[in-house]
Amino acid sequence: MNIPVGAFIAVSSILFFLGVTGVLVRRNAVVILMCVELMLNAANLALVAFSRRAGSVDERGSVFVVFVFVIAAAEVAVGLAIVLAAYRNRPTVDVDEVHAMKG
Amino acid sequence: MVVGPFGLDPAIWAVLRLIIAIALAAGLVFNGALAQIYLERKIQAIIQDRVGPIHTGPWGLLQTFADAIKLLGKEDIRARLTDHWFFLAAPAIVFSPMLASYVVIPFAPGVVGADLNIGLLYLTTLGSMTVLGIVLAGWASNNKYSLIGGLRSAGQLISYEVPQILSLVTVVLLVGSLSLTKIVDGQGGWHVYGLIVPLAFVTYFIAGLAETNRVPFDLPEAESELVAGFLTEYSGMRWGLFFVAEYGEVTVVASIITTLWFGGWHGPFTDIHPLLGPALGVLWFTLKTYFFVLVFMWIRATLPRFRIDQLMSLCWKLLIPVTLLNLMVTAVLLLAFPGTHVPVAIANWLMLGGVMLLIPFLQKRRLIALRQRLETRRLALATAERPR
Amino acid sequence: MSYDFLETVLFALLTIGIVGGAVGVVFLNRITGAALLMAFTFLCNAGMFVLLGAETIAAFQVLIYVGAITVLILYGVMFTPQQHRPYALFFQKQTPWAALFVAPIAIFVALFAFSFRDSAHPTPRGGDLVPLATSVFKDFAFPFEVASVLLLAAMIGAIVLVKRDEDE
Repeated sequence: MNIPVGAFIAVSSILFFLGVTGVLVRRNAVVILMCVELMLNAANLALVAFSRRAGSVDERGSVFVVFVFVIAAAEVAVGLAIVLAAYRNRPTVDVDEVHAMKG
Repeated sequence: MVVGPFGLDPAIWAVLRLIIAIALAAGLVFNGALAQIYLERKIQAIIQDRVGPIHTGPWGLLQTFADAIKLLGKEDIRARLTDHWFFLAAPAIVFSPMLASYVVIPFAPGVVGADLNIGLLYLTTLGSMTVLGIVLAGWASNNKYSLIGGLRSAGQLISYEVPQILSLVTVVLLVGSLSLTKIVDGQGGWHVYGLIVPLAFVTYFIAGLAETNRVPFDLPEAESELVAGFLTEYSGMRWGLFFVAEYGEVTVVASIITTLWFGGWHGPFTDIHPLLGPALGVLWFTLKTYFFVLVFMWIRATLPRFRIDQLMSLCWKLLIPVTLLNLMVTAVLLLAFPGTHVPVAIANWLMLGGVMLLIPFLQKRRLIALRQRLETRRLALATAERPR
Repeated sequence: MSYDFLETVLFALLTIGIVGGAVGVVFLNRITGAALLMAFTFLCNAGMFVLLGAETIAAFQVLIYVGAITVLILYGVMFTPQQHRPYALFFQKQTPWAALFVAPIAIFVALFAFSFRDSAHPTPRGGDLVPLATSVFKDFAFPFEVASVLLLAAMIGAIVLVKRDEDE
């Protein structure tokens, strides 16, 4: 295949840093969760790309990707549960307004 | 210069093959939907002791065409919507995965769109994409009843994916491959997996009923509940597209049942002639698939509807433990007695009998407990109302 | 006649899909649009997996991410309605700091990424499932069991967190 592994890694890094930007910039908690999912996807892409370089396929990269899927699903479920529980307390998902423990 | 079939360049043949396959699949789906709409009305009528459509065409055969023409001519009502693009995209998101499911189903030996070695995984993946379209349809309609209907439907679909996938995995354990052609090739004559793992067939059938939003699981879209749920704001051909998607999905589920548990295209005389044999294979496959579609319609005419909490407790409290137990027992027996399916068959039939006997027993106990609770409550109310 | 350019074209299209979707998620004001663009990014990622020859992983990606996680996020969006805020408020406080920290690191990593010049070697056709399954259930059986316990804990935790107290 004539696409270098570095191209896949570059795409993965762009996706990752867009996710980081989203987590830093956005204030809606659900959107922050979405950006965390983008970061996990970037990690998956990098894992699969790295497992297929240099003329052989190391399937341990794909195995790790399966575990990342599991962890991402669990994290989204619990994260959304936390967001919904906090929303029930005070009807906002703005992370700037949830500072009752500050100071 | 490599020459492909019919003397064409292989690249052009690949593209042409794709176009022909999509056209065939679309034709199959739409014609199948036409046939099934007619069949559904006639069968419901017969079971309900009336005649159904008889006026348009001989025996009412042209009724579906009349309905389609009426749907095409309806006004496209645009309510004030939350998201216009989502409203338009939702029927497409529900329809496309169903259309893409036909590519892996083996209709005859050698007649399969793409012999993927992850065929069954591909089918489950497509089944899980329709959930997104339904949630979008409920959200974009700007109507709280549609939203509730859409979210309920999504919850039901996601819940019932689990027993569905577990039942499919039970058959995969017997075959050792996710490829549908290998699963069909492993059967033949009387050696069909429906006789070896009937419990998986029953649980997949029930989960398939729930996955396609058919009665008794059609709470999210029934006309008498929530004003047709997430379909409320869709009129004309958009609703028609949802409907065709539902019938197409029913056909896909019935095809999966015939492929996995009843031998797919196997039947008498399928190997007499290189050209006629596969045609007969397609015939047997179609007959078996439409048998199950008719059973779906029979159930629709017979059973009442589940409430949403009954539906969910049926999935999580009955189907998932049963399918998990089935999977574990099958796996253990296949490891303990390698090379023979007989212990698996015996265990499965025993479990099926056990489940069928257990359910009335459990229901009776629940009924007695409910009666006791009602009785204590009535007594409490009666003693409380007595004036002091 | 070789069709190698097809791989490059597909890679370019998928890259545009991924980056465009991610930019939309980060910068779009309307949250449901952001959720759908995230689903589109997931689909393009699955396409990348197919390009690398990992079809099973691609199927899992669509099944888990598009089929379940997108629906979860949409549930979260629908259950937490907010007033529509004007666009400018999003970018008041954090953007300069984000740009300061993220951009140099991003540029450095992107340049470093291009130093991997060897060709990607996709799995031979159809050969992805068996090695993956053998690896998961033989070499990584213990992490597999731990992952199932993790899922159980997450499920119980999510249910407990959103359970309403029964008003007796």
